[in-house]
Amino acid sequence: MEKDILDITRRIIDSRAAMHKGLPPLDPKKKEEEGGCGVTGFCCTLPVAGRHIFEPSVQMHNRGNGKGGGIAAVGFDPDQLGISRDVLENHYCFQVAVLDPKCIKNLEKKHIFRNFDVDTYGKLDTVKNWRDLESLEVKPPDIYRYFVRVKDAVLDKWIKKNRLEKMPRGEAEDEFIHQAAGAINNEYYASLGEQQAFVISKGRNMQVLKIVGYAEDVVRYYKMDDFRAHVWIAHQRYPTKGRVWHPGGAHPFAGLDDALVHNGDFANYYSVAEYLRQHGYVPMFLTDTEVAILVFDLLSRIHHYPLEYIIEALAPTTEMDFDLLPLRRQKLYRQIQVAHIHGSPDGPWFFIIARNCFYEKKFQLLGITDTAMLRPQVFAVQNGEIQTGLVCSEKQAIDATLLSLAKEDKRFCPIADKYWNARGGSHRNGGTYIFTIEDDASSPTGKKMVCADKFGRPVETPPEQSLCDITAEIGAATKNDIAKKVIEKHLKAGTAKKLAVAAVKKMKGWDYGALRRFCNAVSELAQQKDAFMHPAIETLTHLVDMRYHTGAKKRASVLQILHIALHEIFLSAPEIQSKKTGAYKLIGWKNRDRLRAPRKSETTLIINAKGFQPELNDRDSKLIVDGFKLGWKNFITFGLVGQRFHGVGLGPETDGVRIDIYDSSGDYLASGIDGLHIYVHGNGQDQIGQITKRGKLVVYGDVGQTFMYGAKGGEAYILGHAAGRPLINGVGKPRVIINGTCLDYLAESFMAGDPLDGGGFVVINGLECDDYGNFALRPRPYPGSNLFSMASGGAIYLLDPYRKTVEEQLNGGQFMPMTDADWQLIKPYLEENERLFGIKIDDLLTVDGKKMKPTDAYIKVGAVKLGVLSGTADDDVNLGS
Amino acid sequence: MSIAVKKKKKSKTAPAPKQAAQEITREPQHTPSRFRHAIGKYRVLRSDACIGCGKCAELCPHGVHVKYEGAQKTSRPKDYLCRGFHCKQNCDYYCIDKCPVGALTLRINPVVETIGDPRWTPEMILSTWDMAEHGRVTNDTLNGELGDTDGGFDKLRLNFPKKPKKKLKPKDIDTSIVLNRRGEGGTQIKIDVPWYGGGMSYGSVSPATMVGKAHAAQIWNTFSCTGEGGFPPHLDPYDYNMITQVATGLFGVREETIQRVRIVEFRYAQGAKPGLGGHLLGDKNTPAVAKMREAVAGMSLFSPFPFHSVYSIEDHKKHVDWILAMNPAALVSAKVSTPTDVDMVAVGSYYAGAHIVHIDGSYGGTGAAPDIAKKNIAMPIEYAIPKVHEFLTNEGIRDKITLIASGGIRNAYDIVKAICLGADGVVVGTGELVALECIRCGNCESGRGCARGIASTDPELSNMYDENWSTRRISNLYNGWREQIIEIMIRYGVKTIPEMRGRYDLLRHVDYSD
Repeated sequence: MEKDILDITRRIIDSRAAMHKGLPPLDPKKKEEEGGCGVTGFCCTLPVAGRHIFEPSVQMHNRGNGKGGGIAAVGFDPDQLGISRDVLENHYCFQVAVLDPKCIKNLEKKHIFRNFDVDTYGKLDTVKNWRDLESLEVKPPDIYRYFVRVKDAVLDKWIKKNRLEKMPRGEAEDEFIHQAAGAINNEYYASLGEQQAFVISKGRNMQVLKIVGYAEDVVRYYKMDDFRAHVWIAHQRYPTKGRVWHPGGAHPFAGLDDALVHNGDFANYYSVAEYLRQHGYVPMFLTDTEVAILVFDLLSRIHHYPLEYIIEALAPTTEMDFDLLPLRRQKLYRQIQVAHIHGSPDGPWFFIIARNCFYEKKFQLLGITDTAMLRPQVFAVQNGEIQTGLVCSEKQAIDATLLSLAKEDKRFCPIADKYWNARGGSHRNGGTYIFTIEDDASSPTGKKMVCADKFGRPVETPPEQSLCDITAEIGAATKNDIAKKVIEKHLKAGTAKKLAVAAVKKMKGWDYGALRRFCNAVSELAQQKDAFMHPAIETLTHLVDMRYHTGAKKRASVLQILHIALHEIFLSAPEIQSKKTGAYKLIGWKNRDRLRAPRKSETTLIINAKGFQPELNDRDSKLIVDGFKLGWKNFITFGLVGQRFHGVGLGPETDGVRIDIYDSSGDYLASGIDGLHIYVHGNGQDQIGQITKRGKLVVYGDVGQTFMYGAKGGEAYILGHAAGRPLINGVGKPRVIINGTCLDYLAESFMAGDPLDGGGFVVINGLECDDYGNFALRPRPYPGSNLFSMASGGAIYLLDPYRKTVEEQLNGGQFMPMTDADWQLIKPYLEENERLFGIKIDDLLTVDGKKMKPTDAYIKVGAVKLGVLSGTADDDVNLGS
Repeated sequence: MSIAVKKKKKSKTAPAPKQAAQEITREPQHTPSRFRHAIGKYRVLRSDACIGCGKCAELCPHGVHVKYEGAQKTSRPKDYLCRGFHCKQNCDYYCIDKCPVGALTLRINPVVETIGDPRWTPEMILSTWDMAEHGRVTNDTLNGELGDTDGGFDKLRLNFPKKPKKKLKPKDIDTSIVLNRRGEGGTQIKIDVPWYGGGMSYGSVSPATMVGKAHAAQIWNTFSCTGEGGFPPHLDPYDYNMITQVATGLFGVREETIQRVRIVEFRYAQGAKPGLGGHLLGDKNTPAVAKMREAVAGMSLFSPFPFHSVYSIEDHKKHVDWILAMNPAALVSAKVSTPTDVDMVAVGSYYAGAHIVHIDGSYGGTGAAPDIAKKNIAMPIEYAIPKVHEFLTNEGIRDKITLIASGGIRNAYDIVKAICLGADGVVVGTGELVALECIRCGNCESGRGCARGIASTDPELSNMYDENWSTRRISNLYNGWREQIIEIMIRYGVKTIPEMRGRYDLLRHVDYSD
């Protein structure tokens, strides 16, 4: 059997030789420059309309420049295509993008009708005049679509000619289709000749469309707003080359039944392309993305590798992660690495792949990150009557998708059940998560979705929890409710926290109706009396921030309900230009010009971020700067969809300023603060807290890549995790508590003096919050390598009672005795951590039911004075000064 | 005693510019070497036979021989001013022959052969010193135009027309350039000369050097750059003419240092060492430097080679947007090295919102850049400039971005050559240090050991000269360059710098032309 496969593989490769005859050798210099990109993908047990890819695409405009965008969709409704289910599922959807209309007649005659039985064909309908779509500068290609099977006689002849009789006939037909597409591309698109037409996709039950423009224009131009599919992926390209006239280089690129979008840049394009050539693939579009999908096609369709092996071949497991694999896997992976290193893309990359697994009757969406995790990536899942899986470059794109879906269908919630990052090439998840949609007769949609990592370990949410239908009746009060009178009493007394704690206690038992009644009551009272605003906001915010058991309710739905109430309260504040007095004033896109200095008794400026741009002059965060200059000290920003730079630009010495951030905040938040305090009620994004000098940052969730890069000082408290490369090049005295963990390269080149003498440090508690609001130790406090590498000052304190952190993870740092002085240093910060997040020091120190000594529970990693780091050996500088 | 105390107090609270410093103008002021025996090309020796007749002093128009009134003997020859054998051939006052007792001998100064390198030849160093001393070329026997290498600007010649089309006078010539061409608002900045000073950090060079560079930039209405070591207080008076550099280590970069300047420069890479970050070896990281960078003294400070927050063009755009969020009026410059795809990088920078793309070629770099990197990695700047210039032109965006070139631009001729190749202006670095009597020994990284106290933070060495001296020397150099550029432009018959941009016809490559 194995011999057969190898035999077939060889013959397939031989059969391709003719296809590529006469092509010039690869030019090592020839490769189109890839800029950055924004990628997004989602899949759903219900086919959803194309317009839902709009919002995330628009969100990512600043990751593209309108010079290349595309989408791929998998899993359609046959009625929308006017074909039978049988044709949809078994015919190849062969699509040709035509740049020069003159060529189509000839192309059809020579390549389509001669080889294929064509069921249905035609030109894709488009809007009449492409110039109606403002952002388009170039006419998108005409797409000719043919639902085809290979003619029996043609296939027989081909099989015989290439001695592929042992190959399953279906797979032979697949290969024939692949080669037929190659032949068309060769003739009508060869990169050296005239570019007339190319095959844009050819798989079953899937299609790719791409243009010179933004991704959402694809949907508009080809009138796919209402076109439904199970899996969608989209791409905004940022080619650095300015003039782009045709979309050949845009993503996605298609294999056979799969399509790939990519954010990144390979350093070894030539090597991978050469490797592909040896296997009969000739990349033609000169982009990394094309070679990526071709490698994927080779490994999956020709070599028949299981997904796990393919991923290992693409993103090899290395360093300590490799050592932590079971021995059997190590042996296997070593073989894969040895065999496929030449075809392994090197450099930063992140792939999203949509697949129709024809032979297994399922659809898949997967995200794979490279071992160094140099590109941002976020995964999310939402379970319920409808299940949705999402993967994006940025969290706000996920939120935008969900918001778009939830607006139309109450079975979606605008907040996902779970958001997480993958750690590239790790022994835990292999840097990959896979959403698989398959038939399930018991599901109301007829489909079910499973999410699992590379090793097949599932990502689950509590099955007993269901989503809230916020359009449902709210119901009458029960005795388990907190009475409105009691609420009012608390608001009057200003005991918001007590009220919130009372609500937390009831939360497990409450149904959605009870929670909504509670929120409504708080909201109504706040709107009645100005004095109630502050405690009402505080109460609901506390409920957003805390982790607790939500009973049969989903945390996502609880958050949705709390946010609805908070938004109501915020929007009820008088607008800045109104004559009404009160502590709070509201400003938004429409009345942004009316910003003025605060009057007596006005304390807080509420900024509605809706409609603002993420950057430059029309960003909402500029209102904070301008407001600060006018004398405002307290700010609330809500309704964010990824806008950036909050807390940036206020200048030095901003003590006494407090900024509260709600909803999907954006990158570079708090980067440059000097004195102000900023509270993020949710997850933070990438590049947060860079060059922080002084002040305080509190994040009631996770933070993204390069958190506090080049920080000079300040305090930061993170409830969740940090992604890769936090605190790099920190100097001065930053003091940070991360209750979760982080991916890799924590505090590389940290130079923050002597922590015991005014310098900086990072505390990692290594906790994970489960689905019921309980914090517990993760298997290891720090999973990656390069902990504190090349650091010359400062320290890392890890809560590691089981001593899971090992020498191999350090790269220049060293374990040092954890002294009482160290504990006295970090204790006040842990106390503040307890106050902010409710994570008790006592609980942290209690291990297996016993309370440990702090100096035993925590370990310390300090700097080594390396020869390479210091100048001369006899140097007598005063360290730590 | 009481006065001393007062002074101390004052300097502590207000590092305001010194009174003397304000007197410096563009007008050249004679600023001789700070060493008693400056290095010259020749050695003139006076033997004991000298009778002190003073004839040599009478004859020499260059001031080599001086006989002070009432002195018995003629002074020790100031031989760094001597024209040497050139005098023997061309002049009738050749002192060696004219000395009645034959007390004078002339030979090549052996020290000269030990300074410099083929790029910065001894003559070019001496010529730069001459200019820094006098504010213009006084010794035209030194070749200050070309080095001794087999490539780069040394292979290019200015191609003068026999007769310029227009007859111009110096006052007709405008040497200014504008830096903001995006046409989207932001500060409008015009600098009076087509160059500005490169970034040298606090820690890599002495405070007097930094201030001298900054002050000269102020005098000439151009810019100097902080480098990546922070914004030390002695630069406060010059912040209008400073560029804050945001480099990969983010040392000393704070919101305030970004808000106080008109131009912010991202240092993505340096042409002398692409793929490597900055590094300040432990020995140079004195307590004062460490304090400015808020790091640990005595430890080598490495900046990472990339920005950890920027791995792609959209990250770069975000990065630019961040700077503009802090300082909306700022111009943003992206300093990049010159890989083979530098043209793409330039276009990408433009689309990300940069006002200036600063390409740094491979010839630059002080001794601190490792040789292996300096000599082998980046593309020579004379290839990179036209490549980028043409690519931007074909993209239709050439007039919306300012292209600045650096990396081995040594003198006025190099500046003109870079502009004719397609740059809008240049950044100079080493030239300024040579004006401060750098001998290009290449030991900059050894820090406290800079023999000339330029690239040193050692308290004793860095006090070898004060900021008045360094300002005057650099300002003199600037004046000399400007005069030479005006002279060249008159010969070309062009009135403004942009008229020369991309005019390959104004150049000649000695290997590829008749």
